[in-house]
Amino acid sequence: MSTLREFDIETKRVKSDSETTDMALFVRTSKEDLLGWNRMRIVDALVRETYVDIDTAQEISKEVERQIIDSKIAVVTAPLIRELVDAKLIERGLEQARKMHTRLGVPLYDVDQLILHPNKENANVPHSPEATNLTLAEMIKKEYALLNVFSQEIGDAHLRGDIHIHDLGFIDRPYCSGQSLEYIKRFGLSLPNSLSIAKPAKHPEVLLAHMVKFAAALQSHFAGAIGWDAVNLFFAPYLVGLDDAEVRQLAQILIFEFSQQAVARGGQAIFTDINLYWEVPSHFEDVPAIGPGGKYTGKPYGYYQEEAQRFVWFLFDVFKEGDGVGRPFFFPKPLVHITEKFFKTPGHEDFLNHICDVASEKGNTYFVFDRGNTAKISECCRLSFKLEASDLEDAKEPWKMRYTALQNITLNLPRMGYLAKKDDTKLFSNISDFMEMAVQAHMQKKGFIEKLLSLKERGPLALLTMEKDDSPYLRMHRATYLIGMLGLNELVEIHTGEELHHSKKAFKFGLKIIAHMKLLADKFGEKHGMRFVLEQSPAESTSYRFAKLDLRYHSPQSGHIVKGDISKAEVYYTNSTCFTVSSQMNPIERVRKEGLFHPLIEAGALTHIWLGEAKPSKESLANFVIKTFNGTLNDQIAFSPEFTTCISCGKTSRGLSDECNYCGSNEVEGITRITGYFTKTSSWNKGKIGELNDRFRNSGFLNDGDGDVIKLPQKPKN
Amino acid sequence: MEMVKIFWKANCSKCPAAKDVGNTLKEEGFKVIDYNLDTLDGLAEGAYYSVMATPTLIIEDRDENCIADFRGIIPSAKEIQTLINKNYR
Ligand SMILES: [Zn+2]
Repeated sequence: MSTLREFDIETKRVKSDSETTDMALFVRTSKEDLLGWNRMRIVDALVRETYVDIDTAQEISKEVERQIIDSKIAVVTAPLIRELVDAKLIERGLEQARKMHTRLGVPLYDVDQLILHPNKENANVPHSPEATNLTLAEMIKKEYALLNVFSQEIGDAHLRGDIHIHDLGFIDRPYCSGQSLEYIKRFGLSLPNSLSIAKPAKHPEVLLAHMVKFAAALQSHFAGAIGWDAVNLFFAPYLVGLDDAEVRQLAQILIFEFSQQAVARGGQAIFTDINLYWEVPSHFEDVPAIGPGGKYTGKPYGYYQEEAQRFVWFLFDVFKEGDGVGRPFFFPKPLVHITEKFFKTPGHEDFLNHICDVASEKGNTYFVFDRGNTAKISECCRLSFKLEASDLEDAKEPWKMRYTALQNITLNLPRMGYLAKKDDTKLFSNISDFMEMAVQAHMQKKGFIEKLLSLKERGPLALLTMEKDDSPYLRMHRATYLIGMLGLNELVEIHTGEELHHSKKAFKFGLKIIAHMKLLADKFGEKHGMRFVLEQSPAESTSYRFAKLDLRYHSPQSGHIVKGDISKAEVYYTNSTCFTVSSQMNPIERVRKEGLFHPLIEAGALTHIWLGEAKPSKESLANFVIKTFNGTLNDQIAFSPEFTTCISCGKTSRGLSDECNYCGSNEVEGITRITGYFTKTSSWNKGKIGELNDRFRNSGFLNDGDGDVIKLPQKPKN
Repeated sequence: MEMVKIFWKANCSKCPAAKDVGNTLKEEGFKVIDYNLDTLDGLAEGAYYSVMATPTLIIEDRDENCIADFRGIIPSAKEIQTLINKNYR
């Protein structure tokens, strides 16, 4: 939306027979009252908000006054006066003053549309008064960000669609956050500005209540996902002595609490990731466990394997059942870490079958592969961090394990291709230029957040500055800055004439582009002392936005490149470094080949396997997961089935269809994964609908032979 | 022609020995290309072959199919010659 250049259209009421005098002229102000006309208010505002001198301000106010009197308007609004003043500033060439004096706001028409119609930008936002509040606030903060946080150059690059700065409407928050339950177990729940302070929980259900509260508090301080590390393990010391029914109930409460819509910010479910382990991760094995009352139990976490396993088993029981009418839970997202140790831990075969059963039945399970000695913490749908030496030191006091990605910026790769006109040198220099823009944008956001944080407990981010241990909750020194990519497949097609899956040459060219980005990210990181990390952008709306903008600026060429149905405006680019969704590849081959990009994309990457209505056996999925772990470098996979849920009879069936399999009603909703999470397809933007129609569903392949999977020895880097 | 690809890093202590093997093979008329993993071409090619350890040697036949690979270990020049000759026949 080009809000930056839009002018407010104000409604004017003109009385035809009015006798306008200074006395009769009232101004509707932004403070909900009517003020009698006073020219000096213009002067005051100009002097307060801009750098213009008092004489110019006087002159402008007189001209505007003349104009209003001459126009015979009975009631003028404050925004109208502001626009008239701005016009005078422009006449005088005072561009900068005009910018400083500008008004941020939303046209009446837009607000009307917003209140009456659902938001299709983000499928996680329901349509409700709370949700429209969120959207309206976002619109104004977005304008604010583009005018006041980012430089003109960066703002323009975003509006043009060279880059996409995600969550501009959340400019005053970091992007996403990962934490440990240990923090609330140890310090209890005492949030700044909160009326009461809760001591560390003594009982598991209280710990859970603290977790939910804290997650809600975090959601209102971060734009994106809230991730929790090793949830089943950190709950374990509280579960000693509980019988199975009690543990099961706790699992049920946890999932229902995090899945309920419309309880938190803007009526949005909290985008929650829970990281789970079958084994006790090596880096926690000897760490002293914290139990009820925030006290050390005297035993290390290694001792609690059985309780942790019981809890995670029941969590998947609940996922398997689904919600009250058998639909999959959209949140929380369970991420199971598959490690070397996983395969050495007794019972892993049964557990793998159990989570694969859920994957096939409902699709929830994410399989995260931590090969060799790397440990990872996953934050949001595509983001994970490999733990470094300093993090493993922090792991001894797990409450210190708090991570954030401050911002996420996606580069429009096809755009670089159109601009390069098949010239290699130009292309690689475009990549550098776009990367540099992303780096600038990150530095500008960092500066802004640091300004807010410097206000400490009196500032808007008080929660993130609280110091319960020896550092603030938000550990800026450990922050990452994400640089995502969109449409590698299309860029390669523009530049070489072939899509990624067409030839080895095209594929290798794709690798070269991402390798270039990776080297640049490292170089910029060293230069600025910041962690720039490549990421597969979720790009739920960005894919659609870039495709539309390229149709505008790079036609007719882009008309042959964008995916989807142009006649219906259902256009999109292929996500990140993925193969086009329609390519009919053997899934293990897709997982292996897409996985070759993953070591270059440090902040986590994912391959989707679209199941459609197919329901493979849990054994074949388990086999697939083992093959992926041993024979590929793929970071993460998820299997996505599709469902149709009936509004009339309430039943849910497999596959997407226009009518209910049970009662024949047309009142049905489709459900499947949009990018990193499940949602109703009716809420999808047009680009994503286009993609959904193109998705190649794998059926019956999973029992196929090995393809050309190669066995890799798992050795750490030298 | 068969080709030997050697992937190395500047800070790897075992890599010079792998390059020596490469030089011996070159002298005997084999086609050897070495890739520094800290450069663009090296990193991109290394990603294609899932190079996660240094040094890594990949031996390909004339159609660019992988015949053998040595990851984090260094074969002798003789070993590689034997492999290539066996494949040639
Ligand atoms: Zn029905």
